[in-house]
Amino acid sequence: MTPSVMPEAARKPSSGFDLKLYGPFLALAALIVLGTIVNPVFLSPGNIGNVLTRTAFIGIIAVGATFVITAGGIDLSVGSLAAFASGVMIVVMNALVGSMGAGLPVILVGVLVALGLGLAAGLVNGLLVTKGRMEAFIVTLGTMGIFRSLVTYIADGGTLSLNSEIRTIYRPVYYGGVFGISYPILAFAVVALIGALIMYRTRFGRYCAAIGSSEDVARYSAINVDRVKLLAFVLQGVCVAIAVVIYVPRLGSASATTGLLWELEAIAAVIIGGTMLKGGYGRIWGTVVGAVMLTLIDNILNLTGAVSVYLNGTIQGVIIIVAVLLQRGTVARR
Amino acid sequence: MAEPLLAAFGVTKSFGPVEVLHGVDFTVLRGEVHALVGENGAGKSTLMKILSGFHRPTSGAVRVDGRSVSFSGIGAAEAAGVVLIHQEFNLAEHLTVEENIFLGRELRRGPFLDKRAMRERSRAVLAELECSVDPRTRVRDLAVSERQMVEIAKAMSREVRVLIMDEPTAVLTGTESAVLFSLIRRLRDQGVGIVYTSHKLDEVRAITDRVTVLRDGHHIATRPTAELTEDDIAQLMVGRAISDLFPAKTPPAPDAPVVLEARGIDVPGWVRGAGFDLRRGEILGFAGLIGAGRTELAEGLLGLRRRTAGTLTRNGEPLRVRRLEDAVAAGIAYLTEDRKGKGLLLAKGLQPNLTLLALDRYGRVFVDERREASALERAVREFDIRVRTLDVPVGSLSGGNQQKLLLAKTMQVDPDILIVDEPTRGIDIGTKQQIYQFLHDFARRGGSVILISSEMPEIIGLSHRVMVMRSGVVTGILEGDEVEEGEIVRYATGLKGRTSSRPSQGDAHDAVGHA
Amino acid sequence: MTFRFGLAAALAAGLMVAPVAGWAQQKIKMGVSIPAATHGWAGGLNWHAQQAEKRLEKQYPNLDVVIVTARDVGRQANDLEDLVSVQRIDALVILPFESAPMTDPVRAVKQAGKFVTVVDRGLTDPSIQDLYVAGNNPQMGEVSARFMKEKMGGKGDIVVLRGIPTVIDNQRVDAFMKEIEGTQIKVLGMQYANWNRDDGFKVMQDFLSRFPKIDAVWAQDDDIALGVIEAVKQAGREKEMFILGGAGMKDMIKRVMDKDVLVPADVLYPPAMIAEAMEITAKHLVEKAPIQKEYIIEATLVTPENAAKYYYPDSPF
Repeated sequence: MTPSVMPEAARKPSSGFDLKLYGPFLALAALIVLGTIVNPVFLSPGNIGNVLTRTAFIGIIAVGATFVITAGGIDLSVGSLAAFASGVMIVVMNALVGSMGAGLPVILVGVLVALGLGLAAGLVNGLLVTKGRMEAFIVTLGTMGIFRSLVTYIADGGTLSLNSEIRTIYRPVYYGGVFGISYPILAFAVVALIGALIMYRTRFGRYCAAIGSSEDVARYSAINVDRVKLLAFVLQGVCVAIAVVIYVPRLGSASATTGLLWELEAIAAVIIGGTMLKGGYGRIWGTVVGAVMLTLIDNILNLTGAVSVYLNGTIQGVIIIVAVLLQRGTVARR
Repeated sequence: MAEPLLAAFGVTKSFGPVEVLHGVDFTVLRGEVHALVGENGAGKSTLMKILSGFHRPTSGAVRVDGRSVSFSGIGAAEAAGVVLIHQEFNLAEHLTVEENIFLGRELRRGPFLDKRAMRERSRAVLAELECSVDPRTRVRDLAVSERQMVEIAKAMSREVRVLIMDEPTAVLTGTESAVLFSLIRRLRDQGVGIVYTSHKLDEVRAITDRVTVLRDGHHIATRPTAELTEDDIAQLMVGRAISDLFPAKTPPAPDAPVVLEARGIDVPGWVRGAGFDLRRGEILGFAGLIGAGRTELAEGLLGLRRRTAGTLTRNGEPLRVRRLEDAVAAGIAYLTEDRKGKGLLLAKGLQPNLTLLALDRYGRVFVDERREASALERAVREFDIRVRTLDVPVGSLSGGNQQKLLLAKTMQVDPDILIVDEPTRGIDIGTKQQIYQFLHDFARRGGSVILISSEMPEIIGLSHRVMVMRSGVVTGILEGDEVEEGEIVRYATGLKGRTSSRPSQGDAHDAVGHA
Repeated sequence: MTFRFGLAAALAAGLMVAPVAGWAQQKIKMGVSIPAATHGWAGGLNWHAQQAEKRLEKQYPNLDVVIVTARDVGRQANDLEDLVSVQRIDALVILPFESAPMTDPVRAVKQAGKFVTVVDRGLTDPSIQDLYVAGNNPQMGEVSARFMKEKMGGKGDIVVLRGIPTVIDNQRVDAFMKEIEGTQIKVLGMQYANWNRDDGFKVMQDFLSRFPKIDAVWAQDDDIALGVIEAVKQAGREKEMFILGGAGMKDMIKRVMDKDVLVPADVLYPPAMIAEAMEITAKHLVEKAPIQKEYIIEATLVTPENAAKYYYPDSPF
């Protein structure tokens, strides 16, 4: 009855489309130039190494977050989960020193515990969202509070410290490396690479984007929507666990402040990288760049005395907004 | 019966270059119930929207009490006492019943809402409707039929002089309909003019005083209801020769094997005890009015909707379908009626859309994008999808091209059975013809098609047999010469076949035996 | 479903029990309102408060101690209202989240006729409090600066890691800067590390990249100091500098005790002050013991000689 007056596909892809694609990379380049101007030390291998190593935690978590967000969800519990998994990992390893002695097996058990915990937490979040038919925001807001208070509880409000012998054996996982590249950087690279393969080359990645675009279309395309969403949350949990495995050897401790606001940093990294917050479109390499940018901003501020420390937040905010503006600006103009 | 309350003279309406109403005259007298009937697409909705101020006529005049008016939106029409009750409801789901009834004209005492007065008046109006809904209930918690009552209550709480009802009984049960009819009679006796549209011709006969028939946007006839039989009305509604849009039918051999057999399918709220046989090489039409439960039956078969009873047999073997994947694995594919909401990812390109349903056929672990690209090239050629470049978002394609892409997507799984739901909705005639040809060829090559359509010519032009549904029940299966518009309308409107709206499952099995 | 029901039931039970407990007792009731254990020092605070509760309730059988913890100013203000109206306390011991915003809520408690002890962070109107127990923030900055001056011979390059932008941090840093004025000690850089180990680590890493020569680090807080130590070790520059923290965390005291060259000393700002405040208040309530208006806890310099005295191995902090 309504006559079809839809115009034929007339619009050619505008040149701005490219900028949207490369926006995060341009912003990163600009930030690197800025850093070099501020302080030449910025480009020293030592500093670059520090920055990338530090990025690894948020970066690995953000790779997981990219899947959850692409599939139209959100996970606010990652920071708390990191703290909780770190805490449990430390407690377990400390407890095992007595019976197993300080050695590699203890660390291996600790790593398995962390991975198991990450997986289980992802499963819980995912099941509550899919089978419980609840908003991901509320589910993970709840688990965020739960994990955070659990770590506070097992640490008695204070700090859990890793047994010093174990620490000595485990320490190189953060501080060591091969060919001058630290293990956290390598882990980050491997996770990102696998993440990119999954996102861009597998059905699962495609399904995440489809579900984030329209759950109905996905369902009518014979996609098991619940299973895909559940898997995305599990993937996120495992990513958090991997981050924990390389975080614990850094300071050998966990407390109620561990991983505070990591969820926001991870989500920010994902969005700066060009993934859409409302889902449907995910970019792993963009996320990697976003995570590096977030660390770079702090790093540059620490490397200069030119800006009052009181204004740190302003600079961070402005850079984040400009970076995203660069990426979206052309879209708005269309 | 002197001065008409509301009148339209020579009203035409165009959307863009397409004229959908051609000089229609229509009057509503004080104290009459005037039926407005016609097939889907005949122009009823447009005329009602013009009468109630939603649309402005392109030419012609609308008069209230003899004065020419130009409603600038529904507010003005309602102020003049003309109220339209929509088929798709116009209620704020999260507000309560009383808040909805008084929405936009809340009663006040000083600066504050006079909640008590509004509640009392709401209660009074609902009582008059014999509706037991508490005015404090939120609308989202109401059943569909109760929402209909709230809509009516909302209209009645205004100083209504002309009430326009768009298929009000489509969602009501028999008892609820009876209440509505007594209410309509009461309003009529109070001098209200009522415009009543319905596909159910028995209802038209029962409660209307005059009938106006529209066909293809033309005014065909206005007669006193008493002078017409239901058959006459159906004849007036149809009266159209079927053009050669359709390829010549090639029915399957009488001994063609049954590839899909459905028995006793129940979809809660929609379908009761439906069953049918589908043969190899056959196009089986599903006819019926909107809301008869055809889509819901299909979705129930396919695992897209909860099914509480029924069995499926595929090539003689029992088939269990719990999710759409199971149906696809059994060689059954579905083309949804909701192209934009359920069919295509509008923001994505053609390639990911094309392969989404059949992605597991493009590589075991990794998706082979080169194979996808060549599949797209093939689909563009085969289905004649016209785009300048292949990397545009699907949302920017025309409806016809979207539909062809959706068909191509559905065909990616190489189905033996294709269930197409409103396959030509909102697309131009050229594309329609291509889709008809495709369905015809598919069946000739040994495929089987279930064609759900509300466009009568489509059903008649393509189907080898037609299953007619009414209110969730199969009322008849027609074949050969019976596949004819008047006959289908008779079954669809309840003139023939099962008349009770909720028969037992056993009756439905009889309907299958009829085939 | 069961989960939801369980939660609701727990909430309902909690709501019902609380007021009953409030009516039932005829004891003297002391409310303690402190920040939740969201960082190391506050964790220590909570631990000491709980220890003091056990000790005092044993010592004075007719005393009931109620500890509530809050995550921010708004919640702390709500807690005070509950303590007065629901718990019907006789005295309040409070460590305010922030000075200015908590002044009026505490004034309301005072006006309700309760005894008020303020700990650590002074209110903007000191006339409200009956008793003030505090560490000495300016003195902490001074003592730290004096130690560094001495240790460095009055000259050298240092970096400063600050806490969270608050009055406490400002008082410490201002006093520190005033004390090193006129010396040849140069502050190369200053950044916030939020009293947090991870941030201490990151900021120090960057300071190490930025400055080829650093003679000393004033980390001001032991959590920050622990992060700093890791960063310095990673860079292999342990021999170049020493680190001065603050508070009196057991890990740090242990290092001082063990004569760690990287950590030659620590400056006390003990979370145990809450216990002290509770004890003085309880003594006054129960025994009507006379009190001074102010107890200022000295910012003692902890060195290998006196470290054993300040070492609590059981404390989580």
